[in-house]
Amino acid sequence: MPRIVRRVTRLLGLLGRRVVLLAVLLVGVFASVTFLPRDAAQSTLDRGASAAELAARRAQLGLDQPLIERFARWMGGLLTGDLGTAARGQPVADVVLVALPNTVLLGGLALGLTVIVAVTVACLATLRPGGPLDRLISATATVTLALPEFVVASVLVLVFALWAGLLPAVAITSAGGSVAPQALILPVLAVAIPQLGWNVRLVRAALADEARAPHVDAAQLDGLSRSRLLVRHLLPGVLPAVAAAAVTSVGLVLGGAIVVEAIFNYPGVGVVLTQAVQDRDAPLVAGVVALTGALILGLLLLADAVRAWATWGTR
Amino acid sequence: MELTRRRLLELGAGMGAGLVLASCAGGGSGTGVESSAAPGPAGPPRPGGTLRVGALGKVAAIIQDPHGSQSNESDYLIIALAYDPLTVPGDPRTVTPRLASSWEASPDLRRHRFALAEGARFHDGSPVTSADVVWSLQRLRATPAGASRLPGIDPAGIAADGPNAVVLTSNYPNADLPLLVRLTTFVLKQDTADVAGAPGTGPFRLESYRQGNARLVRNDTWYGGAPLLDAVDVRIFESPQAMVNALFTGEIDVASNVGPVAARTAQGRDGIQIVRRPNDSALPIVMRVADGPFADARVREAFRLAVDRDAMVAQALSGFGRIANDVMGTGDPAYATDLPQRRRDPARAVALLDEAGFDRSARYQLITADEAPGQGESAILFANQLRDIGVGIDVVRQDLGTFYDETWLKAPLYTTYWGTNDSVTFFASKTMISGAGQNETGQQDPAFDTAYQQAVSTADEQQRTSALRRLQEIEHQRSGYLLWGMADGVDLASEKVGDPPKLAGFGRVQFERTWLAD
Repeated sequence: MPRIVRRVTRLLGLLGRRVVLLAVLLVGVFASVTFLPRDAAQSTLDRGASAAELAARRAQLGLDQPLIERFARWMGGLLTGDLGTAARGQPVADVVLVALPNTVLLGGLALGLTVIVAVTVACLATLRPGGPLDRLISATATVTLALPEFVVASVLVLVFALWAGLLPAVAITSAGGSVAPQALILPVLAVAIPQLGWNVRLVRAALADEARAPHVDAAQLDGLSRSRLLVRHLLPGVLPAVAAAAVTSVGLVLGGAIVVEAIFNYPGVGVVLTQAVQDRDAPLVAGVVALTGALILGLLLLADAVRAWATWGTR
Repeated sequence: MELTRRRLLELGAGMGAGLVLASCAGGGSGTGVESSAAPGPAGPPRPGGTLRVGALGKVAAIIQDPHGSQSNESDYLIIALAYDPLTVPGDPRTVTPRLASSWEASPDLRRHRFALAEGARFHDGSPVTSADVVWSLQRLRATPAGASRLPGIDPAGIAADGPNAVVLTSNYPNADLPLLVRLTTFVLKQDTADVAGAPGTGPFRLESYRQGNARLVRNDTWYGGAPLLDAVDVRIFESPQAMVNALFTGEIDVASNVGPVAARTAQGRDGIQIVRRPNDSALPIVMRVADGPFADARVREAFRLAVDRDAMVAQALSGFGRIANDVMGTGDPAYATDLPQRRRDPARAVALLDEAGFDRSARYQLITADEAPGQGESAILFANQLRDIGVGIDVVRQDLGTFYDETWLKAPLYTTYWGTNDSVTFFASKTMISGAGQNETGQQDPAFDTAYQQAVSTADEQQRTSALRRLQEIEHQRSGYLLWGMADGVDLASEKVGDPPKLAGFGRVQFERTWLAD
């Protein structure tokens, strides 16, 4: 009983620290948008607007008030679920909530694909440690680790859309706003491939560690086949590592999605974020960061829970 | 000669340009309205089909208000298809009728009477009256940009004249008013409460709309004659590259205003038309006239003689443009084509600089921003060319925001961008007369001001022509503009697209006569 209390307290403490971290991050976002040259009033007015027009626009957007005040008001709204108004007048929540599900779909599929492929490939490599396949996988993983998303995306478009004509080059939305499934394939691959290298290496290393555990030795001595050994004894042991690797990738996946969305004209939150920064639209930038931040936070927590569950009783 | 890093880069740039030129050889003579990798469809225009048009835009900047400040080309396209302004750009006349079928000015050129097109109806069937037009123009005038969209017109100067005409009264004589109201004076029904998607009078009717993407269907009863296309699908694209990819893979039929870089990727590709719309953008180098190192007209003349215009067009614009002669408004029918074309003359340039006592040991900053394709490149090329007359230029690239904040209208030397280029007086009034709101060079030239006033305040065609000629002479001789060339607007279209828009600037939205082959 005291142990479960201890664990829950620890998780809650962790959650609290992360919420504080997110709040600090939002302050940073607000401040950095403010300290960039030019402001939202100038970005959203016609070129050559007069000083009076500019001042009126600033007042309208609240830019004439101190940063602290604007941030406090925005945070106050956040607590009541109000994300404020973007510089061009739309509610931030409307803009972000239309785009976010698309990004979550793209990122989720890419992450899922990454985990499945990484575990499969790492297992293949582990079957014959040091064998040719293991060495090939290790080398390939190192290469993909170094591939930027935009290179992968451009090559995928070139090969599968422009040359082969197999898949659409851009994600055109239907009248209902959804992206056609075949238009998702290339963006998902473009986000997932650069993540594979890191995840494969991590899972492979965890498997190697696990293989040195005494119970695995014992099982091996009992004469279990390698594949059975892998599935029954190695994989459960590396589950926390897999979860940790996947969650570490969430941030990278979202970062990659921003680049990939631009290349595929994918209607996600990355495109919104890029444009919001260009417009110096602090509430919109902060809105995107708050929602994606909350999402990452939730996933981190989930990973912690998985780890806690997987290591239950081992400590 | 010492081979420095800079020299190497120059050589590289030169070789690159050579390759580009070679690849352009089949495409652009620079004089045709249209040059094509593939020709458009043959045969008579046929009705039917849905045209899918890609246009640039940002999701976070979407605006559906016809009187709003549309920064998205995609939004503007949708609005221009569904709503009609009083007048639109045309060819050969730069102002042609739309919702106003005709107009006439009072002898003092302060009052303009616009007669409404007969049979004009809103998409819900109700007829257009002068009350609708007055309400719409009042609404436009009340927006933050209203004063510049209806220049010189106070709210009180917008009035109905019977049920089928409106009169606009200017604060000053303004022969250009019909031209200045092109493509912004969109008309909605009087007292429209929710303007997003409200009925318009345009050639197409908005059927569905989502996040910057729209489907518009043919307005069969359009007073201008029903369009041939069944529908136009407008799709918003964040980058030209994605738009070109979508065209290449057949997901759209037209990539609107993709620019020269994207067009280069289409050269030699089967089934793609490259549509060039000449006189689309000006990317002049601005030399400050009011004060600073370029206040002496001889220095400005020297710079204008030092630039290699052909090389600029070939390299900065990838050949998608033509050279210009330091007079803004090259698409104006009154543009002075008979002024001597300035050519490169480094010897004369050096002599002029010495005569003016210009300090050639100092280094000068040329500030540029990436607002239009080729702008930054033009600055670098210019700086290289000026080394030949011993002038050291450092190119400073600024973020667009910083540029408009700190440089525009202020710095001694910078590049700028203008997207409307079919009126000499437009530039004179906006950027060159004393006290103009966007006087980029700080020019105050009484002779120029006089010529401008004469040009816009006379109804006499001959007097106007001679005043315009004088105005352009002065501009050519001593203004602060170094206009080395004009960039084409470049659209890409599938070979099935017949009669795509051909006019520069906002003329790119004119799809009412476009058709699709089988």
